[in-house]
Amino acid sequence: MTKVKLDLPISTDDLSSCVACGLCLPHCPTYRVTQEEGSSPRGRIALMQRAHHEGAVDAEFIQFIDSCIQCRGCETACPAGVEFGSMMETTREALTAQTHYVPWWLRLGYRLLGSQGALAAASKVLAILQRLSLIPRRFSLPRIPLTQKPLRSSGSDVWLFTGCVMDAWMRDTHRAVQRVIESTGKAVAFPDKRAVCCGALHVHAGLGPDARRLAARTIEAFPGDNPILVDSAGCGAQLKEYGRLLGSESARKFSQRVFDVHEWLAQRVEDLPEVDLTPPRIAVQDPCHLRHAQRVHEAVYQVLGLYAETVPVDDDGLCCGAGGAYATLHSEMASDVRDRKVEAIERTNAQEVASANPGCLLHLRSAGIAVRHPLEIVDTLMRKGE
Amino acid sequence: MVHKSADQNLLGELRSFLGDRARDGEFELGLYSKDGSVLEGNPMIVCLPVNTEEVQQIVTVCRKHHRPFLARGSGTGLAGGAVPVGDPVVIATAKMNKILEVDLQNRIAWVEPGVLNLDLSRELSPLGFHFAPDPSSQQVCSIGGNVANNSGGPHCLAYGVTSAHVLAIEVVLPDGRIAVLGDLTAEPPGYDLRGIFVGSEGTMGVATKVAVRLTPNPPEIRTLLLDFADVRDGAATVSAIIAAGLIPAALEMMDQRAIEMVEAFVNAGYPTDADAVLLVEIDGLAGGVEHGIEVVRAVAARHHVGSVRVAADDAERDLLWKGRKNAFGAVARIKPDYYLHDTVVPRGKLVEVLEKVYRIADAHDLIAVNVFHAGDGNLHPILAYDSKEKGVLERVHAAGRAIVTASIEAGGVLSGEHGIGLEKRDYMGMLFSAHDMATQDLVREAFDPDGLANPLKVLPSGSRCSDSFGQHVPDGAWV
Repeated sequence: MTKVKLDLPISTDDLSSCVACGLCLPHCPTYRVTQEEGSSPRGRIALMQRAHHEGAVDAEFIQFIDSCIQCRGCETACPAGVEFGSMMETTREALTAQTHYVPWWLRLGYRLLGSQGALAAASKVLAILQRLSLIPRRFSLPRIPLTQKPLRSSGSDVWLFTGCVMDAWMRDTHRAVQRVIESTGKAVAFPDKRAVCCGALHVHAGLGPDARRLAARTIEAFPGDNPILVDSAGCGAQLKEYGRLLGSESARKFSQRVFDVHEWLAQRVEDLPEVDLTPPRIAVQDPCHLRHAQRVHEAVYQVLGLYAETVPVDDDGLCCGAGGAYATLHSEMASDVRDRKVEAIERTNAQEVASANPGCLLHLRSAGIAVRHPLEIVDTLMRKGE
Repeated sequence: MVHKSADQNLLGELRSFLGDRARDGEFELGLYSKDGSVLEGNPMIVCLPVNTEEVQQIVTVCRKHHRPFLARGSGTGLAGGAVPVGDPVVIATAKMNKILEVDLQNRIAWVEPGVLNLDLSRELSPLGFHFAPDPSSQQVCSIGGNVANNSGGPHCLAYGVTSAHVLAIEVVLPDGRIAVLGDLTAEPPGYDLRGIFVGSEGTMGVATKVAVRLTPNPPEIRTLLLDFADVRDGAATVSAIIAAGLIPAALEMMDQRAIEMVEAFVNAGYPTDADAVLLVEIDGLAGGVEHGIEVVRAVAARHHVGSVRVAADDAERDLLWKGRKNAFGAVARIKPDYYLHDTVVPRGKLVEVLEKVYRIADAHDLIAVNVFHAGDGNLHPILAYDSKEKGVLERVHAAGRAIVTASIEAGGVLSGEHGIGLEKRDYMGMLFSAHDMATQDLVREAFDPDGLANPLKVLPSGSRCSDSFGQHVPDGAWV
């Protein structure tokens, strides 16, 4: 039983905010799959408490902390208001800084996300491999474009954040979102390349310094006071946390300007055009970072509901297993978690599924689910109904 | 935390059939050292079986090594029933979570013990049925845990507690044999061994399959929220509703502090300026429900009710219940720790005992919060505290003892639904004579002559002669 030293900088007050009532257990995707205490939020907090007390951890500690998807479903379930997400982030950062928790090749991968040139080059390689059918189907990447037309700003009423992987692989989603925003009469501005990546995946992996560097750069890319709209739930949650991440007044001010694009549109439903179509039946999968982190998932129903019959997925907002890089790094657990989601989606008997987060989109697609971004669906219906 | 390293022979034998589902990692064992209470023990090994045969093998191996064992469900118990004392092997039944058979014609379902209470009701809901006992922890507590504690819940006022909803149980007896206690007929002949097993808190073996009764969903349900400027009027309304001949499906009460912290969590519009609220649920045929609402309105009006709000739809009803069912966890909004008590008093004595509870808390410099099943007089005083304060635990325990004493003096009993476990074991003498306890121990011994099944629980040490795992709760257990 070898132990590694770990100094866990979480306050005793935060650690003891959990009363161990266990009400989070059924809302935790990894507990749902394993039914093991170590894979539950209550268990993981108990592990942190022990690590804090002993100043050391064992192999099981690392394994259980590593298996958390960081969906934060436990936070909305917690009657005591425990801020599990930030404790998990601190724990990961301590592990990364003090142990060999994140291997070099993975660090390199995360670095890539922070460099537009490198990401574009890597994407091009992937696109070629894809056309040569050299990428196994189980990865189910979207068809990555060989060349991409640039996004064009139409004015400066609102910013649209574009992000790393989403911009490289799913730029057409941004175009659809831009059209929907413009249908309300507002013009859209895109940031320059300083806003290359929000840093969410870095925070999740415990790469705090990288995340803070990316955050500072992103903030610079959005001068002025105009609202910053985000069409990726994960990125939106991260941009909204810059205040806490950087601890500065300017970062807090920046975070206050950030809105999920649905959240912003839901305030302007009267500006959205009406269409004359039979509304299709669309199941709505709530991305965890929209429902549990940003807590604005209702906005998707309000906006999409103008054009489609929305059907909630009846699993209490349990995670689909995507979790940013999680689906790639923990493919087995991610796929077990997804099985529950697929069953719940099938119960809805919907024609198509809407999900407002790129990670969820990719992960659900690889299970054969027909799923698009809610505003891509809205954009199609608007154009059809014109 | 003293960690006794696992007996390697025992571990090897368990691993021979469980593989990596027999665990002894120090950090992981720590996760099974507690339940939902403040008590703590030390498991020697944790086993995660997936079927009856594995449970049987585990029990057989433990018996061979004379090692105590204890079953654990979701670990949400509040009396320390699943806290491992005496370095036992913990048998966590959470992975045994299949609904095996649903027989609508006979309104019975066979389920494994790890099935979660609310999962079962949700699964049955499209068929028009549910499992009636609904502890506040129902979203996470397991059927096996409900059986062990004979659990109650808000709706047990009208529908009865777990024992009324369990027809038969497949158990692995402490000697390793498998037996089915009870059967599926209405009036089985012979002793009701099923009845003895339900509520035995794991001291008579491990339940591996449970035949539960399915209750039809009522055609109409209405939930009312009544607020009072004086907690005494609320309590008097409770007694008066039942005296008026109405048995609501649920009749719950919350005091001012509880309302405040619950509202902070759910935003359901609980009136935070009220001294107390009653949550009253009436179900049945539409005509009867309407009549019930009128009775409640009339009775409450005589007791100075502030307002009566009838939940407009299922969403509002769910929100009100979400507040009620998350009340205990929400205590952390006041203080980081809580000690939740569970006693029963005659309904007519509710006001008197409640006032005593507040006085006791004041005298011990603690905060008391009350959320409880008023309809059946089942009090749940919560003592909120901060364990970092020096000497606070002594005050908490002293206040707890005073509350139990006050309840018993008022003609009540030790526990309504949380069980005795470790927490109230040493209070048993307040209610039972030595003779009573020795007789109960004879029953236990008939099931478990070697004293291996969840030892040191329920009956005070000394009630049995063969207590071979120490006379006292180990040091550090009352943490």
